[in-house]
Amino acid sequence: MELTIERGSLLKSLGHVQSVVERRNTIPILSNVLIEAADGSVSFTATDLDLAIVDTVDADVKQSGATTVPAHTLHDIVRKLPDGAQVAISLDADGAKVKLSAGRSKFTLACLPRDDFPVMSEGDMPFRFDLGAADLKRLIDKTRFAISTEETRYYLNGIYLHAAETDGVQMLRAVATDGHRLARVELPLPEGAAGIPGVIVPRKTVSELRKLIDENDEVITIALSDTKIRFSFRNAIVTSKLIDGTFPDYDRVIPSGNDKSLEVDTKLFADAVDRVSTISTDKSRAVKMELDTDRLTLSATSPENGTATEEISASYGSGELTIGFNSRYMLDIADEIEGDVARFQFADAAAPTLVLDSADEGALYVLMPMRV
Amino acid sequence: MSLRLLPENIVNQIAAGEVVERPASVVKELVENAIDAGARRIDVIMTGGGRSLIAVTDDGRGMTGDELKLCVERHATSKLDDDDLLNIKHLGFRGEALPSIASVSRLTIGSRKSDADGMLADDAWELAVTAGQKSNLRPASLPAGTRIEVRDLFFATPARLKFLKAERTEFGHAIDAVRRLAMAHPDIGFSVTDGERTRLRVREGSADLFEARRARLIDIIGRDFGENSIAIDAGRDGYKLTGYAGLPTFSRGNAQYQYMFVNGRPVRDRVLQGAIRGAYSDLLAGNRHPIVALFLDLDPLSVDVNVHPAKAEVRFEDSGRVRGLIVSAIKHAFAEAGLRTATTASQAALGSARPGGYAGQGQLSQMSRNRPVYSQHAGGYGTPGMRETTLQSYAPLAQGNTEGYAAEPRARMNENPGEIEDAAAINYPLGAARGQLHETYVISQTADGIVIVDQHAAHERLVYERVKQALLENGVARQILLLPEVVELDPGHADRLVERVDQLAELGLVLEAFGDGAVVVREVPALLGETNVIGLVRDLADELAELDQSLGLRERLEEVCSTMACHGSVRAGRALTGDEMNALLREMEATPNAGQCSHGRPTFVELKLHDIEKLFGRR
Repeated sequence: MELTIERGSLLKSLGHVQSVVERRNTIPILSNVLIEAADGSVSFTATDLDLAIVDTVDADVKQSGATTVPAHTLHDIVRKLPDGAQVAISLDADGAKVKLSAGRSKFTLACLPRDDFPVMSEGDMPFRFDLGAADLKRLIDKTRFAISTEETRYYLNGIYLHAAETDGVQMLRAVATDGHRLARVELPLPEGAAGIPGVIVPRKTVSELRKLIDENDEVITIALSDTKIRFSFRNAIVTSKLIDGTFPDYDRVIPSGNDKSLEVDTKLFADAVDRVSTISTDKSRAVKMELDTDRLTLSATSPENGTATEEISASYGSGELTIGFNSRYMLDIADEIEGDVARFQFADAAAPTLVLDSADEGALYVLMPMRV
Repeated sequence: MSLRLLPENIVNQIAAGEVVERPASVVKELVENAIDAGARRIDVIMTGGGRSLIAVTDDGRGMTGDELKLCVERHATSKLDDDDLLNIKHLGFRGEALPSIASVSRLTIGSRKSDADGMLADDAWELAVTAGQKSNLRPASLPAGTRIEVRDLFFATPARLKFLKAERTEFGHAIDAVRRLAMAHPDIGFSVTDGERTRLRVREGSADLFEARRARLIDIIGRDFGENSIAIDAGRDGYKLTGYAGLPTFSRGNAQYQYMFVNGRPVRDRVLQGAIRGAYSDLLAGNRHPIVALFLDLDPLSVDVNVHPAKAEVRFEDSGRVRGLIVSAIKHAFAEAGLRTATTASQAALGSARPGGYAGQGQLSQMSRNRPVYSQHAGGYGTPGMRETTLQSYAPLAQGNTEGYAAEPRARMNENPGEIEDAAAINYPLGAARGQLHETYVISQTADGIVIVDQHAAHERLVYERVKQALLENGVARQILLLPEVVELDPGHADRLVERVDQLAELGLVLEAFGDGAVVVREVPALLGETNVIGLVRDLADELAELDQSLGLRERLEEVCSTMACHGSVRAGRALTGDEMNALLREMEATPNAGQCSHGRPTFVELKLHDIEKLFGRR
């Protein structure tokens, strides 16, 4: 194997794959990235056995071939090379060392044979549909903050992607919850996605995907089966195992009869919550909302620091109500609301509250109050 | 084989399986008999770890020849007045011990009766029993009291014999049993001999029970315990708790040194152990155990001692009340005792502060063996850093005599000593701050010595107490769950949790019964964030089953408080001004439990002037 590639495109390509590689591995080959060169392009593959990303980039390939080298070391080297450098990579004759040179810098890297590199078997993927990058971005961004990090309820450690029906229209839905709050975003079901099984995409896959979307403005092809999902970008393919579990019946916890409706300016609200919560030292950062006719008073109390209150004008007319929330949860939701107006629907101080986005009808958030 | 009654010998051997587990059980049963016989002096001889000989001699009431013949029969006892099993005033009552022991060994028992007026009978008798076979009564020549010799224990039950541990181990268990009994009976003299050396000897105590008990505890647990414990004396509704509780800074790595007595009977009871853990909950790290000797006296009718063959466990009519009494008595005593840390800490510091070569090395290594927690966490405690600190503190006190100590220039004296030269400050328990060493230790001068304060540990404790206070006053904020969690448990476990819903709700955990053997959790303490609810509930249920109380939740909340306190407190390495140091000292005096951090390490060490003078050969 022998090839030359411009430092910038090499770095970008490695950047896409290297974060999949865990810092510490019990299987040595998992620390490596697979380099495959053929026909004017080179592809880099990294995997942690649950997730594999292949990124392909154009290169001047003099001799095709393949090997594996330590991913983080290679990435660090390339990162530190000067901008615009031409990087030459070659595998020595007995396949034991990779030489890398750029200008006057020369590196020799130990490599492991490519045959040892684990290949993720994709199996049969019976469903296949296309989704615009902006749509996928929306599904991810508006739900990922609610993904649980608590390992015992592993089935909440991802985004639940499935087909469902809203008002007689078939929708593709993404749902995430950590048991305290829930986010649900939907869009019209793309062609070919009818009848897809409900799947849970793991948190790590979600964050790797998100990085790739940032640099692409294209159509992404999604293929899936019961156990695996594949996202095909123009130059990259992400293949991931799915979380093997049953996502809870979340429809049950989305309230339908909440009759107390509050409309408030999203930015005013978020800023006020942020300011008021400064006072609470406690980890839970509770903020109390007091509602009266067309008035919302936010307050926080800390036995050490004192108190904070802020009054903002709002549209409300359903009688007095006092309800407490974790301010971080409120800010997370406010961050994802695009519209100028955020719409809250309450039942009482102990029941789930619905938050809606005036600019995005397909997004819905449920927040559980705190007793303070 | 057709149905039949077992021969008496087999019945006794079966009973022996329960009562006579090892030589220590024999010693315990025989010594208890001696105590019940009103002895003033009890001597135990054990050879071969109790395998070859156990002899117990007392000077009690003794027995007549007829009684002697009867005493090795099953269910023969003189101790159950009015045949009332509910009202038990003696240590024994079942009449099982002697026949059980006799059925598995070669037993010789000799006795000379003295009646109620102390009149000694003219004749003494002796009886031998071999593996349950009685010999004839023989006349003997004996002083007042009873002497029992057990030879070749377990020769009749080879299986038991095979499972005996090394001689030393068996001897250790036996001496521990005698120790516990000796603590409960300071009016009786005890000795234990291993055939060559006397391993335990305590004299009968003085008439004043309280003084005698204190002296006895010091004799048995050690002088350190006397200096590093506080007296407990509390009573409530006919329950009376007395004894001594060790300071948190004087803790041990296992719970072996927790001596508990119910109506004078040594027990190892889970309710009591749990209560002690509760009382020390935020004063000690989880792997440290306090040293305590507690005596609980209550109406014999409200405790059932007939639940364990060796009577090591008891059952209380109202275990909640017993636990409440113990927890509040210990907490209260510590709050009243004010600022104290173990003298062993300052002793060790002094020991390591000899001029030239560090003579205290042995002691130090012993310290680090005994207190692994300190060396891990505190770094500077009992390590060379500490030694330096101690040395430097002499400089301002013993002026002109500092050669050889090479005081390090890093010792940062206060820029304006005049500012804090407040004559009144010296009279505070923690004195007036004189300076800071290594930006970590505050040195202050008291009326009769110096105090070295670990600024981080001390401040951490102050912040912790504040955070905890706030938590208690304002109640625990609860996050309501969007997806209530159903936790599957044993039916018994679930019932126990449901019984305590109010108590758990106060700490922020709201749950309710969910069918048979499950609970559903609806609200969790917001402080815990996104937590493993199932794990938490299971742990609580296990704890309830084991200790009949649930400390786990409170402990977890306290742990969060303590992490917050750690982040919110002054670190080591931060320079403090004189005013800041004095403010720290004054606040420590005003805060309960400021003598140790939440892991049980001392926050300050006090060195008395006369100890320092000793170092310089002035005394």
